[in-house]
Amino acid sequence: MSKPVTVFAFLGTTLDAGSGPDRWERWRPNVAMCQHEDLLVSRLELFYGSRHKRLAQDVVRDIGQISPETSVNLVPMELRDPWDFGAVYEALYDFSRTYTFAPDDEDYLIQITTGTHVAQICLFLLTEARYLPGRLLQISPPKRRREGTPGDYSIIDLDLSRYDRIATRFTAERDEATSFLKAGIETRNAAFNEMIERIEMVAVRSPAPVLLTGPTGAGKTQLARRIYELKRSRHLVEGEFVEVNCATLRGDQAMSALFGHVKGAFTGAQAARAGLLKSADKGMLFLDEIGELGLDEQAMMLRAIEEGRFLPMGADREETSRFVLIAGTNRDLSTQVAEGKFREDLLARLDLWTFRLPGLKDRIEDIAPNLSFELNRYAERTGERVTFNKEAETRFLNFAASQDASWTGNFRDLSAAVTRMATFAPAGRITVAEVEQELATLTARWPKSENNAGSDQLRSVLSPDQLDDLDLFDQAQLAQVIEVCKTSASLSDAGRKLFQASRRKRTSTNDADRLRKYLARFGLDWNTVAAGEAAT
Amino acid sequence: MSVNDKTDLIEIDGSFGEGGGQVLRTSLTMSVATGTPVRISAIRAGRAKPGLMRQHLTCVRAAAEISGAAVSGDELGSTEIRFAPGALRAGEYEFSIGTAGSCMLVLQTIVPALLRADGPSTITLEGGTHNPAAPPWELIERAYLPALAEMGSEVTGRLERYGFMPAGGGRVAVTVKPGAGQAYVKARRTEIRNQRSEAVFANLDVDIARRELAVIGKQLTIGEERLLLREVKSQGPGNALILTIEHDAGCEVIAEFGMRGRSAEVVARSAAREAKVFLGTDAVIGRHLADQLLVPMALCAGGSFTTVKPSRHTVTNAEIIRKFCPGGITIERMNDNGSVQFVNVTPIDKQGIST
Repeated sequence: MSKPVTVFAFLGTTLDAGSGPDRWERWRPNVAMCQHEDLLVSRLELFYGSRHKRLAQDVVRDIGQISPETSVNLVPMELRDPWDFGAVYEALYDFSRTYTFAPDDEDYLIQITTGTHVAQICLFLLTEARYLPGRLLQISPPKRRREGTPGDYSIIDLDLSRYDRIATRFTAERDEATSFLKAGIETRNAAFNEMIERIEMVAVRSPAPVLLTGPTGAGKTQLARRIYELKRSRHLVEGEFVEVNCATLRGDQAMSALFGHVKGAFTGAQAARAGLLKSADKGMLFLDEIGELGLDEQAMMLRAIEEGRFLPMGADREETSRFVLIAGTNRDLSTQVAEGKFREDLLARLDLWTFRLPGLKDRIEDIAPNLSFELNRYAERTGERVTFNKEAETRFLNFAASQDASWTGNFRDLSAAVTRMATFAPAGRITVAEVEQELATLTARWPKSENNAGSDQLRSVLSPDQLDDLDLFDQAQLAQVIEVCKTSASLSDAGRKLFQASRRKRTSTNDADRLRKYLARFGLDWNTVAAGEAAT
Repeated sequence: MSVNDKTDLIEIDGSFGEGGGQVLRTSLTMSVATGTPVRISAIRAGRAKPGLMRQHLTCVRAAAEISGAAVSGDELGSTEIRFAPGALRAGEYEFSIGTAGSCMLVLQTIVPALLRADGPSTITLEGGTHNPAAPPWELIERAYLPALAEMGSEVTGRLERYGFMPAGGGRVAVTVKPGAGQAYVKARRTEIRNQRSEAVFANLDVDIARRELAVIGKQLTIGEERLLLREVKSQGPGNALILTIEHDAGCEVIAEFGMRGRSAEVVARSAAREAKVFLGTDAVIGRHLADQLLVPMALCAGGSFTTVKPSRHTVTNAEIIRKFCPGGITIERMNDNGSVQFVNVTPIDKQGIST
């Protein structure tokens, strides 16, 4: 038994209008929707603004005439600006949260033809997100030769994959709308998204310092800037975002750069300098690689954080600056504390809110969204929009997610890769050729891991097939043995090094023979191993 | 065994003959009037949008309402319904038809059945009164209802509002007082008494109506005093050209509808063509009334009439009626080219008794 159909629709303030008899000769979407012989709308929930109440009532009357089976509920919805994305979304969202849906008893169709294009997008988003548990209804006027008929309609079920293409298009539009919250990157990694939510809460509610840890290129700087923008949008900070990498600060330079100096404070200090802390007054200071900060600067920084005061070099009066501190590090600061390189009390101040950003390898599912983000950024920077062809994109993403990609520079590597590919792309289209070239570049840049180094040793003497047949256990041992052999003058020399411990206990007498037998197990002899070296 | 045996289910192939709404409506009427359950399958199977459309559902529900029927499969797009009528109930009925669908088609579905009810009924219908592909109100008022009256019942009707496609908004009311059935016999027509043409229009330029009448006047040589401009009030625009031919044996109504993209001249020529066919024979019943008379005749006291070459609707209706009373209707040629045919209808009750 099919269920009665309920339609949600905006009143078409232009298209649905008309009072004379000739209105029946025009295509009026919401009326026409109820004139189809093969579509029976049992209930229509019609959104309208009070300015158009009269028109809404006319439409209700006309629908009653041509579709007595339909009951129309007028749903007042005040939109001061129907082109304002936030306002329209909010109004529809609120409606969807308060409306009582009975999907077991009714079928819902969301008519997306009337209303502004913003309303259309919002309805799409709410339907896609299942806030509106129905299918989309698109209606269209009759072709010229069939004028006077109700036209056509089509029902679009977003759960069906064949509408993926539409979904993709609308997803892009949604990204624009929510870019404020996620900096335009639609990240999919659940752990990362959860962390971002917590960071947002902290950023909005707490003025305390935040420590961002994680490998280089994980996006600490970008996240710090995002936190700044969020705080700024909530009027929690008014000043500037000041960013400094502590690794670049050395000696007197460090003190002066951070805290400023007075004229003549040191040789070459010809003019006074305010310093970064002062520049960050009422704003935010991001100290990247804070583990590189010298102990003197750490002491001064602690006082600046705690009291908002510090002493510029050569000055006899303290300066004040109220700033929010965000620190970044890729080091383990507690180890540095243990080694006496980092002040424990400073770490304690920073440690209240510590967030660890995962590296790219731990966020494989975020590669694709970051890739499009990087392409957008490239477009903003250069004014040139570059896209992947499908094959090239698949090739890149497959490689990016594979074990072969070590992504040691994390998102910084990804960004650089996009920039290089986009620069080489002919006519703004990245093809497989650019991708292949880039993959070679990336692979060459990444340092070989120790495991890889061992593999190289083995590859110099064994065929890939032989290598495949070796247990990892044997590979590790054999790699080490070959390494020693290559740095030894002879079989006996290598044997002595390899079995030194046994020799001391006199449990082994013939080291060379023992090594020869070991190599023979893998079909190797001294000459092969030595030739392997000769070949490199 | 009686064909009226209520335990016997009659199977009807909905794609048979005309293969559309007509098969459905005739089956429903026969089912309700005889109390015989039916299963109609392959409903509108060959159509672009197969299965029940809204106007058909309205008919199904109207038929169910006057007979307290148990129905399954009565939903949009369904290609099979089971319809098991209960006792026919006289009463006051009101039906609103969606999509400005024709009131007349619903009327023709339930009125013949109500002729057999045990008391008077009033049926009020809202929707279209002048729809393409359906008889206009004038045919019902001037030809169909008088024919029903001649079959032994008292039937009157009035149009309260005109309704044209696509706006609808029309309203008609028909009252039925069942009486003892009389055989309806119309053998020959000898004299045309009055011929007139009306161009009915609403919310349109009068020029359209004038042009239609000009063509009719010329083609059928009708004097100007019998060419009538009738501007009517209606919700939306609409135009119907109605030719009424009164003769010694009754009345024939021919209608054509103006619509966008169809010129007034084309509309008028088409109506004139059909009129000429009718006038060229001595048949009593025209093409568009013939099919509608078979059901009430079968349900009342039977009879016979002469008609022009039967339409597919007529042949289809005859076949469906035969399902309920085998051999009940015969159609024979009266001349070599078949331009006049003789239709004989055996009443269903007599049929039931005789077997």
